[in-house]
Amino acid sequence: MMMNAAGQSTNAIDAKLVNTLMKAVMEVCGTMAGTQVTLKEVVPSLDYKPTGDISGVIGISGDYGEGMLTLSFTEPMAALLVGRLLGMPPEEICSEDMCDGIGELVNIVSGRAKTSLSEDSGTLYRLSLPSIIKGPGHEITGRPKNCPFLFLVFEAEGHSFVLQVTFRYF
Amino acid sequence: MTYILTVDDSRIMRKIMSGAIEALGFQVLEAGDGVECLAQVEAHIEEVCLVLMDWNMPNMDGLTALKRLKASEMTNTIPVMMVTTEGERGKMVEAIRAGAANYLAKPFAEEDLMTKMVECLQDRLNLV
Repeated sequence: MMMNAAGQSTNAIDAKLVNTLMKAVMEVCGTMAGTQVTLKEVVPSLDYKPTGDISGVIGISGDYGEGMLTLSFTEPMAALLVGRLLGMPPEEICSEDMCDGIGELVNIVSGRAKTSLSEDSGTLYRLSLPSIIKGPGHEITGRPKNCPFLFLVFEAEGHSFVLQVTFRYF
Repeated sequence: MTYILTVDDSRIMRKIMSGAIEALGFQVLEAGDGVECLAQVEAHIEEVCLVLMDWNMPNMDGLTALKRLKASEMTNTIPVMMVTTEGERGKMVEAIRAGAANYLAKPFAEEDLMTKMVECLQDRLNLV
């Protein structure tokens, strides 16, 4: 395993970061959307190619590392979660609200990761503004070369959604 | 009419906070960034009793808007509560030092938002 000067692995994603993200997803969905979410599996394979209808993407960077977080949902799952956030039935969620809601979800999850990374390193990490990708069955493949990655697959009420974590320490 | 101003670049967050504000019996004003926040406060200066402020927003961030509000004699008595994804202790200290009356990190439960709003409004509610 390769390590940087701070003793952090440069070819694997830190388990604490993964744990923070997993808890953040569960807490955001549970606390704000009242939706119980469970982690179904963790997939560290390039052969795994999850697709979604709507994805929220945020970049994270600091003095000691950089990465990207992508939350991908099917449209029914996104409508369910955003509907719960607003206290509305999923069928009443318009496209604009769905995009805004998924952007806010990925923003809050990334905020948790940023806090954890900043407090661990004693330096401030920064987030990009969230970007939203919308289109039936799209695949997110914009992963920097040689950058460690993981897919966290979550399940809620018969639907699955995926958090793709790409992060490397310098 | 007494307003609570919610400042967030996410329309969804403004909608969520509007529900809690109305549940407390206040009217809602909205702004999408710090610039709009200052304009709303100026336009309703006698009626705004609390500002709920996000931190990271385009055009003008929440900390800058907070400092502007606290720098003016016209607006420095309006309580400002930060509602933000910025969860680091250093950020909280920075906001409190700049004059924030309270701080709530996202994600939050609606009850927590309402409790913190009531804490900020305690002086006003005692007077009513």
